[in-house]
Amino acid sequence: MLRAAPAPKNAAAQRGSGEIRLVNLTKTFGDLQAVKAINLTVPHGSYCCMIGPSGCGKTTILRMIAGHETPTSGEVFIGDQMVVGLPPVQRGTALMFQSYALFPHLSVRDNVAFNLKMRGDAKAARYARVDEMLALVHMTQFADRMPAQLSGGQQQRVALARALITNPRVLLLDEPLSALDEFLRLRMRGELKRLQNKLGITFVHVTHTQPEAIALADTVVVMNQGSIEQAASPHDVYAYPRSSYVARFMGGQNVLTGKVRGVAGDSVLVDGPGGALFRAPASGQKPSAGSQANLAVRRDMIELRRGKASGDTGENSIQANVETVEYQGIYHKVTLSRISGEEFIVMEPEATFFAHPVAPGDAVVASWDIKGLRLLEPDRAAGDATQPYADDRAS
Amino acid sequence: MTKAHGKRPWTFYVLATLFTLFVIFLYGPMISIFILSFQGPTGGLVFPLRGVSLTWFGALFGQARTGDIGGAFSRSLPLALIVLVLTVLISVTAGFAFRRRFRGSTAIFYAAIISLIVPGLVLSIGILVTFRFLDLRANWYGSALGAHLSWTLPFGLLIMFAILGRLNPAYEEAAYDLGASRWQAVSHVVIPIVFPGMIAVALFGFTLSYDEFPRSWLTVGSKNTLPIEIWTMTTNVTSPALYALGTVTTAISLTAIALAIGSIAYIQRKRAMRL
Amino acid sequence: MKKNALLITYLQVAPLVLVLLLFVIVPLALVLAVSFFRYQVLVGLVPDFTFKNYIDILSNPTTWWLYFSTLKFTVIVLAITFVLGFWISYFLVFHVRNLLTAIALFLVCTVPFWTSNIIRMISWRPVLGKEGLINSALLKLGFVNQPVEWLLFSDFSVIVAYVHLFTLFMIVPIFNSMARIDPALLEAAYDGGASRWGVVWNVVLPLSKTGIALGAVFVVTLVMGDFFVVSVMSGGLSGSATSGIFNDLQFLNYPRAAASAVILVIIVLMIAAAIFRLVDVRKELAQ
Repeated sequence: MLRAAPAPKNAAAQRGSGEIRLVNLTKTFGDLQAVKAINLTVPHGSYCCMIGPSGCGKTTILRMIAGHETPTSGEVFIGDQMVVGLPPVQRGTALMFQSYALFPHLSVRDNVAFNLKMRGDAKAARYARVDEMLALVHMTQFADRMPAQLSGGQQQRVALARALITNPRVLLLDEPLSALDEFLRLRMRGELKRLQNKLGITFVHVTHTQPEAIALADTVVVMNQGSIEQAASPHDVYAYPRSSYVARFMGGQNVLTGKVRGVAGDSVLVDGPGGALFRAPASGQKPSAGSQANLAVRRDMIELRRGKASGDTGENSIQANVETVEYQGIYHKVTLSRISGEEFIVMEPEATFFAHPVAPGDAVVASWDIKGLRLLEPDRAAGDATQPYADDRAS
Repeated sequence: MTKAHGKRPWTFYVLATLFTLFVIFLYGPMISIFILSFQGPTGGLVFPLRGVSLTWFGALFGQARTGDIGGAFSRSLPLALIVLVLTVLISVTAGFAFRRRFRGSTAIFYAAIISLIVPGLVLSIGILVTFRFLDLRANWYGSALGAHLSWTLPFGLLIMFAILGRLNPAYEEAAYDLGASRWQAVSHVVIPIVFPGMIAVALFGFTLSYDEFPRSWLTVGSKNTLPIEIWTMTTNVTSPALYALGTVTTAISLTAIALAIGSIAYIQRKRAMRL
Repeated sequence: MKKNALLITYLQVAPLVLVLLLFVIVPLALVLAVSFFRYQVLVGLVPDFTFKNYIDILSNPTTWWLYFSTLKFTVIVLAITFVLGFWISYFLVFHVRNLLTAIALFLVCTVPFWTSNIIRMISWRPVLGKEGLINSALLKLGFVNQPVEWLLFSDFSVIVAYVHLFTLFMIVPIFNSMARIDPALLEAAYDGGASRWGVVWNVVLPLSKTGIALGAVFVVTLVMGDFFVVSVMSGGLSGSATSGIFNDLQFLNYPRAAASAVILVIIVLMIAAAIFRLVDVRKELAQ
């Protein structure tokens, strides 16, 4: 059963399209609806990151694309092939496991060669391909080692090579960087991006780390309890979050709640907590007076001045106390006392902070320009469903 | 409380002494009969040694005075090997079955536990009666084999539970992901990984059968296993030949143990794993 | 696909079920049946349904005396093996620093298990006997003027043999339970002000409960089901619950032997069930 493995140059053509389409994809475990009728298209050759807190369904979706989990209903298309019911190897996908799952009884070389051995390639041809793959992930000199002798980062690269040797059109990664320490994580991040660019195949990467998602992805998919909250470019998700959930989760914005006073021209007036008045750009939205409104203000576009305001603080500003100040190098993270239960954080650049320093206990006035404020979509669900973090939930 | 280094607390020395005494307690008597088996021709059952000789080893294999030792060996060893093979096959396949819950799994589990707990003599009676009921005679490769399996299978099953329970499911999923069929995943990934456990099952199968006594009592038919032969010797043999027999049979057991533990250690070393 | 998998599962477990049925379940059922038969001298087994055997046994004071004797041994052996098993496991898990050494020492304890029980029993003779090692040493050192009689062929030697053979059955499950205890728990207790003994009493002991229960069940069933250790080591002076069965067998009185067996099994199962109620066995064993 001598079958030569295809050369890398023709590989892309032989793989076919790596576009992924999820159509009304649902997964129920007993009483629990883990994935609720998801619709998503991931373009061929793009890098997609799925992000959300534990239990949001991102890993379940990944496993359904991979074929390790069967959907309760709905369809998964890879290219123009409907793949539900097909075993993993026939889908053109390869999964990189969170624990790497390197076979402990096989050497690095035999681990990477596994797929080729399963389909019956001859030893010489197998090992030739393996050497190419090991060179790709810079693990050539470890070919004869056993997995137990490798560090975490090395194991991960072997797992990558083992997955890529199957010539997939889609590479699925289940929290690939979670087990690594900070320094290694940042380095491997760069390597993953480089690899994806070089190979030109679709990557779907599940993570719970926001900076990782916005660094790597062409599309960020933010998930909440089985549904997609927003699927957009990293910039859109970070700077223009659609809902309060996404705004809270991505960490670049503070969420303010209030009652709509009215629409005046191209701006919306909202009455906030403690008598504050917020004016946000309308951007085509026309909320009715008296309705609940959510607003998001960019954390790095807020000015802090020490002092108590006498009377009104004016539009787009609030009075608060400084709780903690954290130094983060490029900026200072100043946490203010909670505004009606919400976290309020200001990221002050170095120069600004040292010009007007604040300390814990200080009374401050935080203000921002209308350009830093956005009206968010009304919440679809109530209460806890909009809180990504368990500690902030009421129950 | 276990510091990685530094001075040891006084309790360590107390417990270490207890442990040492226990090991002496365990091995001391066996070592003394090992020594006594080299008793001189005029020596008796107790110390001191009057000369060193191999006479009593020679006496073992003469049928007349000391019973049918050679015969018993020639029966016990092959039986133990067959029990070994069957125990591994049946325990491993049953262990795989138990990875998912199925109707009757609890009942089967408790049946295995009952087999462990019930006194061997009772089971011996039961099997004999069963065979009489079926109009069969008690014999080696029927009732005796079954009686031994009833003792070794629960052990094998429990070991397989422990091993398969701790097996990370990601290994098999990775195998499927990389194109293995269900059978290939089992033969190329699961079995190699749990192979050391299977060696342990084999060891239990062999030694438990080879040394088994109460269940064999009534189920062997007319010819004795080695343990039964030794039992009869304890009542009517009054020479160090008994000790010589003890040494020989213990040597066989120790060889089996060394082979098993050695292979496990070798496999783990090759995989560069700590155990 | 699912139906296929279920079929395979049943096929995989079939050989085990076959063996258990034929060599455990059916035999036990038949023993129960035979216990109601009659025994006629010179004829043998007579199928019947009578409680005569049970009445005979239960009204016979010897039966009660034998059970009392066996239970006495059981309790004493349980206590000794528990103390030994607990502290040896504790030593191996918490005092031995190198994991490889701990495993090696553990294996050293288990190796005798894989050799013949009978040989291990008779190996006590040259040690405990009147001319044995211990007596010779005592005489030489002048502690006694005459050899100590009760070292061999007595209750003492029976207990020694039981402890020798069965302590391992305590060590293994307790070792297993203790090895699962996160060492950080002990440090946390120590940190919180517990003395070293307090840590053992409040942390280690409760968390080893399952292993202790398992070990106890093993020891109880082994001691109560034994007949040859007690007869060899006591020189025929003591009996056990099982030796009654043995005697009946010698006289081919199968029905009465069966009845004794049923009574014994019921008592043993009751004790085991009582101990098992304290822990969830399947969860523990199948982990």
